Amino acid sequence: MNYQTKSAVTSIKRFPYQSLAAIFLLTITFLVVTILSVVSYSSGKIIKYFETRPQIIAFLKDNTTTETVSALQHKLQNDLRIKEVKYVSKEEALSIYKDATIDNPLLGELVNPSIFPASLEFSLNDLSFAQAIIDEVKSEAIVDSVGFTASLGGEKSLGDVVERLRKITLYLRLGGGFFALLLVGTSFLVLVITLGMRIASRKEEVKILDLIGAKKSFIKKPIIIESVIYVVSGVILGWLMTLIMILYIAPSAINYFGEIPVLPKNPLMFFSIFGIILLSELVVGILLATIGSNLALSRASHKK
Amino acid sequence: MIKFNKVTKTYGDVTALKDVSFEVKDGEFVFLMGPSGAGKTTILKLILKEILPNSGEIKVGGTDVAKISEKELPLFRQKIGCVFQDFKLLNERTVEENIEIALAVLGIQESKWKERVAKVLKMVGLESRKSLFPSQLSGGEIQRVSLARALVVNPDLILADEPTGNLDWEKADEIMEVLEKINKEGKTVIVATHNKEIVNKMKKRIIKISSGKIIKE
Repeated sequence: MNYQTKSAVTSIKRFPYQSLAAIFLLTITFLVVTILSVVSYSSGKIIKYFETRPQIIAFLKDNTTTETVSALQHKLQNDLRIKEVKYVSKEEALSIYKDATIDNPLLGELVNPSIFPASLEFSLNDLSFAQAIIDEVKSEAIVDSVGFTASLGGEKSLGDVVERLRKITLYLRLGGGFFALLLVGTSFLVLVITLGMRIASRKEEVKILDLIGAKKSFIKKPIIIESVIYVVSGVILGWLMTLIMILYIAPSAINYFGEIPVLPKNPLMFFSIFGIILLSELVVGILLATIGSNLALSRASHKK
Repeated sequence: MIKFNKVTKTYGDVTALKDVSFEVKDGEFVFLMGPSGAGKTTILKLILKEILPNSGEIKVGGTDVAKISEKELPLFRQKIGCVFQDFKLLNERTVEENIEIALAVLGIQESKWKERVAKVLKMVGLESRKSLFPSQLSGGEIQRVSLARALVVNPDLILADEPTGNLDWEKADEIMEVLEKINKEGKTVIVATHNKEIVNKMKKRIIKISSGKIIKE
Protein backbone atom coordinates (compact mmCIF):
# COMPACT_ATOMS: atom_id res chain seq x y z
CA MET A 1 0.00 0.00 0.00
CA ASN A 2 1.57 3.34 -0.99
CA TYR A 3 1.81 6.36 1.26
CA GLN A 4 -1.29 8.10 -0.09
CA THR A 5 -3.54 5.03 0.16
CA LYS A 6 -2.21 4.25 3.64
CA SER A 7 -2.87 7.84 4.66
CA ALA A 8 -6.46 7.64 3.36
CA VAL A 9 -7.11 4.34 5.15
CA THR A 10 -5.57 5.66 8.39
CA SER A 11 -7.83 8.70 8.17
CA ILE A 12 -10.93 6.50 7.73
CA LYS A 13 -9.89 4.37 10.72
CA ARG A 14 -9.23 7.42 12.88
CA PHE A 15 -12.74 8.82 12.33
CA PRO A 16 -14.89 5.69 11.93
CA TYR A 17 -18.26 7.31 12.70
CA GLN A 18 -17.84 10.16 10.20
CA SER A 19 -16.68 7.64 7.61
CA LEU A 20 -19.62 5.32 8.30
CA ALA A 21 -22.08 8.24 8.08
CA ALA A 22 -20.68 9.25 4.69
CA ILE A 23 -20.71 5.67 3.39
CA PHE A 24 -24.22 5.06 4.75
CA LEU A 25 -25.66 8.14 3.04
CA LEU A 26 -23.90 7.33 -0.22
CA THR A 27 -25.25 3.76 0.02
CA ILE A 28 -28.81 5.07 0.40
CA THR A 29 -28.26 7.43 -2.53
CA PHE A 30 -26.97 4.76 -4.86
CA LEU A 31 -29.60 2.30 -3.63
CA VAL A 32 -32.29 4.78 -4.73
CA VAL A 33 -30.43 5.59 -7.96
CA THR A 34 -30.14 1.88 -8.81
CA ILE A 35 -33.82 1.25 -8.01
CA LEU A 36 -34.81 4.23 -10.15
CA SER A 37 -32.62 2.99 -12.99
CA VAL A 38 -34.36 -0.40 -12.87
CA VAL A 39 -37.81 1.22 -12.60
CA SER A 40 -36.91 3.48 -15.51
CA TYR A 41 -35.83 0.46 -17.56
CA SER A 42 -39.02 -1.45 -16.67
CA SER A 43 -41.33 1.49 -17.39
CA GLY A 44 -39.62 1.91 -20.75
CA LYS A 45 -40.26 -1.76 -21.45
CA ILE A 46 -43.94 -1.38 -20.45
CA ILE A 47 -44.37 1.55 -22.82
CA LYS A 48 -42.60 -0.32 -25.58
CA TYR A 49 -44.89 -3.27 -24.95
CA PHE A 50 -48.00 -1.15 -25.30
CA GLU A 51 -46.57 0.65 -28.27
CA THR A 52 -45.73 -2.53 -30.14
CA ARG A 53 -48.52 -4.96 -29.33
CA PRO A 54 -51.19 -5.39 -32.06
CA GLN A 55 -53.01 -2.14 -31.89
CA ILE A 56 -54.61 -1.41 -35.21
CA ILE A 57 -57.20 -3.54 -36.97
CA ALA A 58 -58.18 -2.74 -40.53
CA PHE A 59 -61.59 -4.35 -41.11
CA LEU A 60 -61.92 -5.38 -44.71
CA LYS A 61 -64.96 -5.04 -46.96
CA ASP A 62 -66.81 -8.24 -47.81
CA ASN A 63 -66.12 -8.08 -51.53
CA THR A 64 -62.31 -8.16 -51.26
CA THR A 65 -60.27 -10.66 -53.25
CA THR A 66 -57.25 -12.60 -51.99
CA GLU A 67 -55.00 -10.60 -54.36
CA THR A 68 -56.13 -7.21 -53.11
CA VAL A 69 -55.75 -8.34 -49.46
CA SER A 70 -52.27 -9.70 -50.19
CA ALA A 71 -51.34 -6.49 -51.94
CA LEU A 72 -52.39 -4.39 -48.93
CA GLN A 73 -50.72 -6.83 -46.50
CA HIS A 74 -47.51 -6.62 -48.53
CA LYS A 75 -47.70 -2.82 -48.61
CA LEU A 76 -48.11 -2.63 -44.85
CA GLN A 77 -45.30 -5.09 -44.25
CA ASN A 78 -42.96 -2.90 -46.28
CA ASP A 79 -43.84 0.18 -44.22
CA LEU A 80 -40.99 0.77 -41.72
CA ARG A 81 -43.39 2.24 -39.16
CA ILE A 82 -45.40 -1.00 -39.05
CA LYS A 83 -44.52 -4.46 -37.84
CA GLU A 84 -46.14 -7.88 -37.48
CA VAL A 85 -49.00 -7.64 -39.98
CA LYS A 86 -51.40 -10.51 -39.58
CA TYR A 87 -54.40 -11.50 -41.69
CA VAL A 88 -57.46 -12.64 -39.71
CA SER A 89 -60.11 -14.43 -41.79
CA LYS A 90 -63.84 -14.41 -41.04
CA GLU A 91 -63.52 -17.91 -39.54
CA GLU A 92 -60.65 -16.89 -37.31
CA ALA A 93 -62.61 -13.82 -36.22
CA LEU A 94 -65.49 -16.06 -35.19
CA SER A 95 -63.07 -18.28 -33.29
CA ILE A 96 -61.66 -15.27 -31.45
CA TYR A 97 -65.20 -14.16 -30.65
CA LYS A 98 -66.08 -17.60 -29.31
CA ASP A 99 -62.95 -17.63 -27.16
CA ALA A 100 -63.87 -14.23 -25.81
CA THR A 101 -67.43 -15.33 -24.98
CA ILE A 102 -66.52 -18.75 -23.64
CA ASP A 103 -68.30 -17.97 -20.39
CA ASN A 104 -71.54 -17.49 -22.30
CA PRO A 105 -71.66 -20.16 -25.07
CA LEU A 106 -75.10 -19.04 -26.18
CA LEU A 107 -73.62 -15.84 -27.65
CA GLY A 108 -71.24 -17.91 -29.77
CA GLU A 109 -74.01 -20.15 -31.06
CA LEU A 110 -76.09 -17.22 -32.30
CA VAL A 111 -73.52 -16.02 -34.80
CA ASN A 112 -71.89 -17.36 -37.96
CA PRO A 113 -68.66 -16.36 -39.72
CA SER A 114 -70.39 -14.29 -42.38
CA ILE A 115 -71.22 -11.49 -39.95
CA PHE A 116 -67.55 -11.04 -38.95
CA PRO A 117 -65.36 -9.04 -41.31
CA ALA A 118 -61.91 -10.32 -42.25
CA SER A 119 -59.19 -8.01 -41.02
CA LEU A 120 -55.52 -7.08 -41.08
CA GLU A 121 -54.05 -6.62 -37.62
CA PHE A 122 -50.74 -4.94 -37.08
CA SER A 123 -48.62 -3.22 -34.50
CA LEU A 124 -46.46 -0.12 -34.70
CA ASN A 125 -42.83 0.59 -33.94
CA ASP A 126 -43.93 3.78 -32.21
CA LEU A 127 -47.37 4.83 -31.09
CA SER A 128 -46.84 8.35 -32.36
CA PHE A 129 -47.18 7.05 -35.95
CA ALA A 130 -50.64 5.65 -35.24
CA GLN A 131 -52.89 8.51 -36.27
CA ALA A 132 -51.17 9.02 -39.62
CA ILE A 133 -51.22 5.28 -40.38
CA ILE A 134 -54.90 4.97 -39.44
CA ASP A 135 -55.71 7.80 -41.84
CA GLU A 136 -53.69 6.19 -44.61
CA VAL A 137 -55.23 2.73 -44.11
CA LYS A 138 -58.74 4.20 -43.98
CA SER A 139 -58.25 5.60 -47.46
CA GLU A 140 -57.55 2.12 -48.90
CA ALA A 141 -60.41 0.91 -51.16
CA ILE A 142 -60.75 -2.53 -49.55
CA VAL A 143 -60.81 -1.19 -45.99
CA ASP A 144 -64.21 -0.70 -44.44
CA SER A 145 -63.15 0.75 -41.10
CA VAL A 146 -60.14 0.94 -38.79
CA GLY A 147 -60.13 0.09 -35.09
CA PHE A 148 -57.59 0.88 -32.40
CA THR A 149 -57.26 -1.59 -29.54
CA ALA A 150 -54.85 -0.02 -27.06
CA SER A 151 -56.63 1.45 -24.10
CA LEU A 152 -55.48 2.00 -20.55
CA GLY A 153 -58.34 3.69 -18.80
CA GLY A 154 -61.30 4.50 -21.02
CA GLU A 155 -59.48 6.99 -23.23
CA LYS A 156 -61.65 8.25 -26.02
CA SER A 157 -59.01 8.77 -28.65
CA LEU A 158 -55.64 7.50 -29.71
CA GLY A 159 -54.09 10.81 -28.66
CA ASP A 160 -55.38 10.24 -25.13
CA VAL A 161 -53.74 6.81 -24.89
CA VAL A 162 -50.39 8.02 -26.16
CA GLU A 163 -50.55 11.06 -23.91
CA ARG A 164 -51.40 9.00 -20.86
CA LEU A 165 -48.54 6.57 -21.39
CA ARG A 166 -46.08 9.36 -22.00
CA LYS A 167 -47.26 11.28 -18.93
CA ILE A 168 -46.97 8.29 -16.62
CA THR A 169 -43.39 7.72 -17.79
CA LEU A 170 -42.50 11.38 -17.67
CA TYR A 171 -43.81 11.82 -14.11
CA LEU A 172 -42.10 8.62 -13.01
CA ARG A 173 -38.77 9.70 -14.47
CA LEU A 174 -39.05 13.35 -13.42
CA GLY A 175 -40.16 12.54 -9.87
CA GLY A 176 -37.56 9.82 -9.50
CA GLY A 177 -34.87 11.97 -11.08
CA PHE A 178 -35.66 14.87 -8.75
CA PHE A 179 -35.54 12.61 -5.70
CA ALA A 180 -32.28 11.07 -6.88
CA LEU A 181 -30.79 14.51 -7.52
CA LEU A 182 -31.82 15.62 -4.04
CA LEU A 183 -30.07 12.60 -2.54
CA VAL A 184 -27.00 13.03 -4.73
CA GLY A 185 -26.83 16.70 -3.68
CA THR A 186 -27.12 15.83 0.01
CA SER A 187 -24.50 13.10 -0.31
CA PHE A 188 -22.21 15.50 -2.10
CA LEU A 189 -22.52 18.04 0.72
CA VAL A 190 -21.90 15.39 3.38
CA LEU A 191 -18.87 14.23 1.42
CA VAL A 192 -17.47 17.78 1.18
CA ILE A 193 -18.09 18.39 4.92
CA THR A 194 -16.51 15.05 5.92
CA LEU A 195 -13.49 15.73 3.73
CA GLY A 196 -13.28 19.28 5.09
CA MET A 197 -13.01 17.83 8.60
CA ARG A 198 -10.33 15.44 7.40
CA ILE A 199 -8.33 18.27 5.87
CA ALA A 200 -8.62 20.26 9.10
CA SER A 201 -7.37 17.26 11.08
CA ARG A 202 -4.49 16.82 8.63
CA LYS A 203 -3.44 20.48 8.74
CA GLU A 204 -0.17 19.71 10.56
CA GLU A 205 0.61 16.82 8.23
CA VAL A 206 -0.04 19.03 5.20
CA LYS A 207 2.30 21.68 6.63
CA ILE A 208 5.06 19.09 7.21
CA LEU A 209 4.65 17.59 3.75
CA ASP A 210 4.76 21.06 2.23
CA LEU A 211 8.02 21.86 4.07
CA ILE A 212 9.75 18.66 3.01
CA GLY A 213 8.92 19.38 -0.63
CA ALA A 214 5.71 17.49 -1.36
CA LYS A 215 3.92 18.61 -4.49
CA LYS A 216 0.30 19.78 -4.24
CA SER A 217 -0.86 16.63 -6.03
CA PHE A 218 0.97 14.45 -3.48
CA ILE A 219 -0.76 16.26 -0.61
CA LYS A 220 -4.18 16.14 -2.32
CA LYS A 221 -4.10 12.48 -3.30
CA PRO A 222 -4.97 10.93 0.09
CA ILE A 223 -8.08 13.13 0.30
CA ILE A 224 -9.11 12.17 -3.23
CA ILE A 225 -8.46 8.47 -2.49
CA GLU A 226 -10.49 8.73 0.72
CA SER A 227 -13.47 10.24 -1.09
CA VAL A 228 -13.20 7.62 -3.84
CA ILE A 229 -13.24 4.89 -1.14
CA TYR A 230 -16.46 6.38 0.32
CA VAL A 231 -18.18 6.71 -3.04
CA VAL A 232 -17.12 3.31 -4.39
CA SER A 233 -18.25 1.66 -1.13
CA GLY A 234 -21.58 3.51 -1.40
CA VAL A 235 -22.04 2.55 -5.05
CA ILE A 236 -21.21 -1.13 -4.52
CA LEU A 237 -23.34 -1.48 -1.38
CA GLY A 238 -26.33 0.38 -2.88
CA TRP A 239 -26.07 -1.57 -6.13
CA LEU A 240 -25.67 -4.91 -4.35
CA MET A 241 -28.67 -4.29 -2.10
CA THR A 242 -30.83 -3.44 -5.12
CA LEU A 243 -29.56 -6.50 -7.01
CA ILE A 244 -30.46 -8.80 -4.10
CA MET A 245 -33.85 -7.08 -3.75
CA ILE A 246 -34.63 -7.37 -7.48
CA LEU A 247 -33.45 -10.99 -7.60
CA TYR A 248 -35.82 -11.68 -4.73
CA ILE A 249 -38.86 -10.00 -6.30
CA ALA A 250 -38.08 -10.84 -9.95
CA PRO A 251 -40.02 -14.16 -10.11
CA SER A 252 -43.14 -12.55 -8.63
CA ALA A 253 -42.81 -9.45 -10.82
CA ILE A 254 -42.31 -11.47 -14.00
CA ASN A 255 -45.29 -13.63 -13.06
CA TYR A 256 -47.46 -10.61 -12.22
CA PHE A 257 -46.72 -8.70 -15.42
CA GLY A 258 -47.07 -11.81 -17.55
CA GLU A 259 -45.99 -11.19 -21.11
CA ILE A 260 -44.90 -7.60 -20.40
CA PRO A 261 -41.08 -7.86 -20.21
CA VAL A 262 -40.54 -5.64 -17.14
CA LEU A 263 -37.29 -7.52 -16.42
CA PRO A 264 -35.18 -9.56 -18.80
CA LYS A 265 -35.81 -13.29 -18.42
CA ASN A 266 -32.40 -14.13 -19.87
CA PRO A 267 -29.85 -14.12 -16.96
CA LEU A 268 -27.07 -12.81 -19.23
CA MET A 269 -29.22 -9.86 -20.29
CA PHE A 270 -30.34 -9.31 -16.69
CA PHE A 271 -26.77 -9.13 -15.35
CA SER A 272 -25.63 -7.07 -18.35
CA ILE A 273 -28.18 -4.41 -17.43
CA PHE A 274 -27.04 -4.45 -13.81
CA GLY A 275 -23.43 -4.34 -15.00
CA ILE A 276 -24.15 -1.24 -17.09
CA ILE A 277 -25.90 0.40 -14.13
CA LEU A 278 -22.90 -0.39 -11.86
CA LEU A 279 -20.40 0.98 -14.36
CA SER A 280 -22.43 4.16 -14.90
CA GLU A 281 -22.76 4.66 -11.15
CA LEU A 282 -19.03 4.14 -10.64
CA VAL A 283 -18.24 6.75 -13.30
CA VAL A 284 -20.71 9.23 -11.78
CA GLY A 285 -19.49 8.35 -8.27
CA ILE A 286 -15.81 8.84 -9.06
CA LEU A 287 -16.64 12.12 -10.76
CA LEU A 288 -18.56 13.15 -7.63
CA ALA A 289 -15.63 12.12 -5.41
CA THR A 290 -13.09 14.03 -7.50
CA ILE A 291 -15.20 17.20 -7.64
CA GLY A 292 -16.08 16.90 -3.94
CA SER A 293 -12.50 16.43 -2.76
CA ASN A 294 -11.19 19.24 -4.96
CA LEU A 295 -13.94 21.53 -3.66
CA ALA A 296 -13.08 20.62 -0.05
CA LEU A 297 -9.37 21.19 -0.73
CA SER A 298 -9.95 24.54 -2.43
CA ARG A 299 -12.19 25.63 0.48
CA ALA A 300 -9.44 24.64 2.91
CA SER A 301 -6.75 26.50 0.97
CA HIS A 302 -8.91 29.65 0.90
CA LYS A 303 -9.32 29.47 4.68
CA LYS A 304 -5.54 29.40 5.24
CA MET B 1 26.24 28.79 -2.32
CA ILE B 2 23.87 30.62 0.01
CA LYS B 3 23.96 34.39 -0.05
CA PHE B 4 22.04 36.82 2.18
CA ASN B 5 22.23 40.41 0.99
CA LYS B 6 20.90 43.08 3.36
CA VAL B 7 17.97 40.92 4.42
CA THR B 8 15.41 42.39 6.79
CA LYS B 9 12.49 40.50 8.25
CA THR B 10 9.90 41.82 10.64
CA TYR B 11 6.98 40.16 12.38
CA GLY B 12 4.60 43.05 12.97
CA ASP B 13 6.53 45.54 15.12
CA VAL B 14 9.25 43.03 15.98
CA THR B 15 12.36 43.08 13.82
CA ALA B 16 13.70 39.54 13.56
CA LEU B 17 16.52 40.36 11.14
CA LYS B 18 17.99 43.73 10.20
CA ASP B 19 20.16 44.17 7.09
CA VAL B 20 21.73 40.75 7.47
CA SER B 21 24.38 39.83 4.88
CA PHE B 22 26.52 36.70 4.80
CA GLU B 23 27.61 33.92 2.47
CA VAL B 24 27.92 30.19 2.94
CA LYS B 25 30.00 28.36 0.36
CA ASP B 26 29.10 24.93 -1.01
CA GLY B 27 30.34 22.16 1.27
CA GLU B 28 30.79 24.48 4.24
CA PHE B 29 29.75 23.68 7.84
CA VAL B 30 28.42 26.78 9.55
CA PHE B 31 27.02 27.41 13.00
CA LEU B 32 24.42 30.16 13.42
CA MET B 33 24.89 30.98 17.04
CA GLY B 34 23.00 33.22 19.34
CA PRO B 35 20.49 33.36 22.17
CA SER B 36 16.80 32.57 21.80
CA GLY B 37 15.04 35.17 19.64
CA ALA B 38 18.26 36.25 17.95
CA GLY B 39 16.93 35.39 14.48
CA LYS B 40 18.56 31.99 13.84
CA THR B 41 15.32 30.15 13.03
CA THR B 42 14.18 33.09 10.87
CA ILE B 43 17.31 32.68 8.72
CA LEU B 44 16.59 28.97 8.25
CA LYS B 45 12.92 29.68 7.44
CA LEU B 46 13.97 32.28 4.87
CA ILE B 47 16.34 29.80 3.18
CA LEU B 48 13.50 27.27 2.97
CA LYS B 49 11.11 29.97 1.68
CA GLU B 50 8.78 29.19 4.55
CA ILE B 51 8.62 32.96 4.99
CA LEU B 52 9.63 35.87 2.76
CA PRO B 53 11.87 38.79 3.69
CA ASN B 54 10.58 42.35 3.86
CA SER B 55 13.63 43.52 1.96
CA GLY B 56 16.95 42.23 0.71
CA GLU B 57 17.88 39.28 -1.43
CA ILE B 58 18.44 35.61 -0.63
CA LYS B 59 20.13 33.35 -3.14
CA VAL B 60 20.42 29.59 -2.78
CA GLY B 61 22.55 27.88 -5.43
CA GLY B 62 22.39 31.03 -7.51
CA THR B 63 18.58 31.11 -7.45
CA ASP B 64 16.78 34.09 -5.99
CA VAL B 65 14.51 32.43 -3.43
CA ALA B 66 11.85 35.15 -3.78
CA LYS B 67 11.54 34.32 -7.48
CA ILE B 68 10.90 30.60 -6.97
CA SER B 69 7.32 29.97 -8.10
CA GLU B 70 4.75 27.93 -6.16
CA LYS B 71 5.18 25.17 -8.74
CA GLU B 72 8.99 25.12 -8.44
CA LEU B 73 9.01 25.34 -4.63
CA PRO B 74 8.53 21.60 -3.89
CA LEU B 75 11.50 20.69 -6.09
CA PHE B 76 13.60 23.39 -4.40
CA ARG B 77 12.69 22.08 -0.93
CA GLN B 78 13.36 18.48 -1.91
CA LYS B 79 17.06 19.40 -2.22
CA ILE B 80 17.14 20.62 1.37
CA GLY B 81 17.13 18.37 4.40
CA CYS B 82 15.60 20.03 7.44
CA VAL B 83 15.78 19.22 11.12
CA PHE B 84 13.09 21.38 12.66
CA GLN B 85 13.23 22.77 16.15
CA ASP B 86 9.75 21.33 16.83
CA PHE B 87 10.68 18.10 14.97
CA LYS B 88 7.57 18.12 12.74
CA LEU B 89 7.00 14.39 12.85
CA LEU B 90 3.71 12.68 12.04
CA ASN B 91 2.47 11.31 15.34
CA GLU B 92 0.25 8.58 13.91
CA ARG B 93 3.13 7.09 11.94
CA THR B 94 6.00 4.94 13.10
CA VAL B 95 9.64 6.05 13.05
CA GLU B 96 10.20 4.06 9.86
CA GLU B 97 7.12 5.52 8.16
CA ASN B 98 8.10 9.07 9.15
CA ILE B 99 11.40 8.59 7.35
CA GLU B 100 9.80 6.84 4.38
CA ILE B 101 7.52 9.82 3.80
CA ALA B 102 10.50 11.89 2.68
CA LEU B 103 11.32 9.20 0.12
CA ALA B 104 7.67 9.00 -1.01
CA VAL B 105 7.66 12.78 -1.52
CA LEU B 106 10.70 12.45 -3.76
CA GLY B 107 8.98 9.71 -5.73
CA ILE B 108 11.69 7.14 -4.97
CA GLN B 109 10.72 3.53 -5.71
CA GLU B 110 9.39 1.68 -2.66
CA SER B 111 11.78 -1.22 -3.26
CA LYS B 112 14.67 1.09 -2.40
CA TRP B 113 13.15 2.47 0.80
CA LYS B 114 14.09 -0.31 3.22
CA GLU B 115 17.81 -0.12 2.47
CA ARG B 116 17.98 3.69 2.66
CA VAL B 117 15.88 3.88 5.82
CA ALA B 118 17.97 1.19 7.52
CA LYS B 119 21.15 3.11 6.62
CA VAL B 120 20.02 6.39 8.20
CA LEU B 121 18.49 4.65 11.21
CA LYS B 122 21.87 3.03 11.85
CA MET B 123 23.54 6.40 11.39
CA VAL B 124 21.40 8.02 14.11
CA GLY B 125 21.32 4.87 16.29
CA LEU B 126 17.59 4.16 16.14
CA GLU B 127 17.44 0.75 14.45
CA SER B 128 15.68 -0.81 17.43
CA ARG B 129 13.09 1.99 17.56
CA LYS B 130 11.88 1.84 13.94
CA SER B 131 8.46 0.35 14.75
CA LEU B 132 7.64 2.78 17.55
CA PHE B 133 5.49 5.89 17.30
CA PRO B 134 6.87 9.35 18.21
CA SER B 135 4.79 9.33 21.40
CA GLN B 136 6.74 6.26 22.52
CA LEU B 137 10.14 7.95 22.06
CA SER B 138 12.20 10.26 24.25
CA GLY B 139 12.85 13.88 23.19
CA GLY B 140 16.34 13.01 22.02
CA GLU B 141 15.10 10.06 19.99
CA ILE B 142 12.45 12.22 18.32
CA GLN B 143 15.17 14.70 17.39
CA ARG B 144 17.21 11.91 15.83
CA VAL B 145 14.19 10.71 13.80
CA SER B 146 13.89 14.25 12.48
CA LEU B 147 17.57 14.16 11.51
CA ALA B 148 17.18 10.74 9.88
CA ARG B 149 14.28 12.05 7.77
CA ALA B 150 16.43 14.98 6.66
CA LEU B 151 19.37 12.73 5.74
CA VAL B 152 17.48 9.96 3.96
CA VAL B 153 16.87 12.08 0.87
CA ASN B 154 20.61 12.69 0.47
CA PRO B 155 20.16 16.48 0.25
CA ASP B 156 22.71 19.01 -1.01
CA LEU B 157 22.01 21.26 1.95
CA ILE B 158 21.11 20.43 5.55
CA LEU B 159 19.46 22.97 7.81
CA ALA B 160 19.36 21.92 11.45
CA ASP B 161 17.52 24.04 13.98
CA GLU B 162 18.78 23.24 17.49
CA PRO B 163 19.45 19.59 16.63
CA THR B 164 21.03 18.96 20.02
CA GLY B 165 18.45 20.86 22.03
CA ASN B 166 16.95 17.86 23.80
CA LEU B 167 20.03 15.68 23.92
CA ASP B 168 22.51 14.93 26.64
CA TRP B 169 26.15 15.69 25.95
CA GLU B 170 26.97 12.20 24.68
CA LYS B 171 24.01 12.01 22.28
CA ALA B 172 24.55 15.59 21.12
CA ASP B 173 28.11 14.69 20.30
CA GLU B 174 26.92 11.69 18.26
CA ILE B 175 24.53 13.87 16.28
CA MET B 176 27.26 16.38 15.54
CA GLU B 177 29.50 13.54 14.39
CA VAL B 178 26.78 12.46 11.96
CA LEU B 179 26.46 16.00 10.63
CA GLU B 180 30.22 16.32 10.29
CA LYS B 181 30.35 13.02 8.41
CA ILE B 182 27.64 14.27 6.02
CA ASN B 183 29.58 17.50 5.59
CA LYS B 184 32.70 15.57 4.70
CA GLU B 185 30.70 13.95 1.89
CA GLY B 186 30.48 17.44 0.39
CA LYS B 187 27.10 18.56 1.73
CA THR B 188 26.56 22.05 3.05
CA VAL B 189 25.43 22.06 6.69
CA ILE B 190 23.97 25.01 8.57
CA VAL B 191 23.25 24.44 12.25
CA ALA B 192 21.38 26.93 14.39
CA THR B 193 22.29 26.46 18.04
CA HIS B 194 22.92 28.17 21.34
CA ASN B 195 25.06 25.28 22.63
CA LYS B 196 28.52 26.84 23.14
CA GLU B 197 30.19 23.57 24.14
CA ILE B 198 29.25 21.90 20.90
CA VAL B 199 30.28 24.90 18.82
CA ASN B 200 33.62 25.19 20.58
CA LYS B 201 34.31 21.50 20.19
CA MET B 202 33.50 21.36 16.49
CA LYS B 203 35.79 24.25 15.49
CA LYS B 204 33.73 25.26 12.46
CA ARG B 205 32.79 28.61 11.04
CA ILE B 206 30.48 30.54 13.37
CA ILE B 207 28.06 33.36 12.52
CA LYS B 208 27.06 35.03 15.77
CA ILE B 209 23.68 36.73 15.78
CA SER B 210 22.07 38.89 18.38
CA SER B 211 18.80 40.84 18.14
CA GLY B 212 18.56 40.21 14.40
CA LYS B 213 22.05 41.43 13.57
CA ILE B 214 25.27 39.62 12.78
CA ILE B 215 27.67 40.60 15.51
CA LYS B 216 30.60 38.39 14.62
CA GLU B 217 31.69 36.20 11.73
